[in-house]
Amino acid sequence: MAHDLAQNTVDGLMTGSAYAMLALGFTLIFGVMRRLNLSYGPSIMIGAYLGTLVHLQFGMGAAVVALVTVLGAVAAGFYVERLCFAPMRGQAATASMVASFAIWMQLEELATLLLPRHSYPFPALIARPPFEIAGILIRADRLLTLGAAIAAMLALWLLVHRSRFGLALRATARDRATARHLGIDVDRIGLIAFLGASALGGLAGMLVIAADQQITPMFGMWATFKGLVAMMLGGLGSIPGAVIGGLLLGVVEAHGQWFFGPQLRDLLVYALLFLCLVLRAGIGAGVPSAERRI
Amino acid sequence: MDFYYGLAQIIGVHTLLGLSAYMVLLTGQVSLAQAGFAAVGAYVAAMLTVLAGMHLFPALLIAGIAAATIACAVGFPALRVRGLMLVIATLAFGEAVRLFFFNFDYQIAKGEVRVGPLGGEGFRQIRYFPENGWTTFEVMLLIWAIVAMVMAALWWMDRSRTGAVLRAVGEDELAAQSVGINLTAVKVSAMAAGGFIAGLSGGIYAHYTTHIEHANFGVVLATFAIAYPILGGLSSVFGTVIAVVFIQGVLIEGLRFMGDWRNLLFGALIVLAMNLRPHGLLDPRSLAMLRRLVGRA
Repeated sequence: MAHDLAQNTVDGLMTGSAYAMLALGFTLIFGVMRRLNLSYGPSIMIGAYLGTLVHLQFGMGAAVVALVTVLGAVAAGFYVERLCFAPMRGQAATASMVASFAIWMQLEELATLLLPRHSYPFPALIARPPFEIAGILIRADRLLTLGAAIAAMLALWLLVHRSRFGLALRATARDRATARHLGIDVDRIGLIAFLGASALGGLAGMLVIAADQQITPMFGMWATFKGLVAMMLGGLGSIPGAVIGGLLLGVVEAHGQWFFGPQLRDLLVYALLFLCLVLRAGIGAGVPSAERRI
Repeated sequence: MDFYYGLAQIIGVHTLLGLSAYMVLLTGQVSLAQAGFAAVGAYVAAMLTVLAGMHLFPALLIAGIAAATIACAVGFPALRVRGLMLVIATLAFGEAVRLFFFNFDYQIAKGEVRVGPLGGEGFRQIRYFPENGWTTFEVMLLIWAIVAMVMAALWWMDRSRTGAVLRAVGEDELAAQSVGINLTAVKVSAMAAGGFIAGLSGGIYAHYTTHIEHANFGVVLATFAIAYPILGGLSSVFGTVIAVVFIQGVLIEGLRFMGDWRNLLFGALIVLAMNLRPHGLLDPRSLAMLRRLVGRA
């Protein structure tokens, strides 16, 4: 029993680290733009499909596939930003959301046009059997994901809090109009944050798909949902919060699946999210600081 | 001809769903729970006609009330969150409702077959219309009669004091509160009214498709529901209808000849529409122009 709990928790942390990376990307976009990008997952998926295409057509190895995936996700992110976010400044936040939803459908269609079968193989990064520490099985590629998530969090934190660009980014996130008056090119900051988030998402998506060793058109929706839920669980718009939210989501899912089965697991997660949002906003009412910080 | 009747049925049901989101959006709440309310309405109405053998009209009414009750229950906690948090909270709620029906079994034997919702397989054999000899045309008339009633009610409400109160809350909550408007009452009743309309739409949907399952009421439907009033504009209920006809009639049916490429163009056209008209297809300016044209300035 204790062993199962420990194994579940470790598995949850490993899965959760991928959620954490997706949540970091969401946090970056949301912190600067104050907009919801529903196309975040699908644009990662486009990158992964391009990677798969390179793998299938030219037989490239994991490293090239990983690079193509990240670059593809950045390109798709650029496309989304230019169409849904750059032209709609000001108050039309819901217009951006609806437009990004339309782009979601577009990207999903594009992915199935590129590779029409339901699922395709994706090269594994580390093809070796799981090893055992104190009776707990650990997969090397999942461990890599956890390491990448922690590295990404530290790098992002340093960038945001210890660099000149980060200062401009925080100023934009805090008060767009004032930042503009101070001579910060807020549109450029927004674009760079968007592309950075896409690169981070591409990396996370690549690690997840490489661990699963297959890709399906459902991945886009999956990535959007998991990233969004993890960001929300961790408290909106904070970098350590996104990571904690991702890991928490992973652990809750692992235990939920163990005790209640896969279908009730998702129900449990959504119920938890609803409660979290409602209660947290109740506690923090009138204290918008958590939403303002990045 | 049946094809066009079928299309008109789809447009009618989606219009109801869009109007339910419109109602909630008037108070400034972006809700992605409308598909969940529609799911409640669909399952309740279908269970009443199929399992309890009830007539369609009382079943639809009860379905609407059930969905409104659930919406009321969401409305109270949702009061504490706004903006993006509300979007996510309602999304989570809608998905929780969908997953509830994914796990919901309640079957009884009727003759030699077992009927009722069965988890992932959904609810088959909702045969009220064929069993009672309704033609496609009659079903379409019924749907549009309900749409017309709901639209008339919303149109009348919009021109009354209630409409002004709802819009005041949507424009500026603080200002509305300071002139003595009870925010809780307004937002929760808007949510409940939206839930009622969504429940009606779900109930009718269940009966004309004859088969519902949890996947019908996912996030895609929820986003469509909120996209209609946003795309159509909040100036008038007709904006929502125009948006539904634009999306369901023109973009989805009209572009069918394009096959696999349809969704690519679909996305591009919606983005174009949102870029050119961020406040909706029928924004206050074009509405004022239309009014002048028909001489009612």
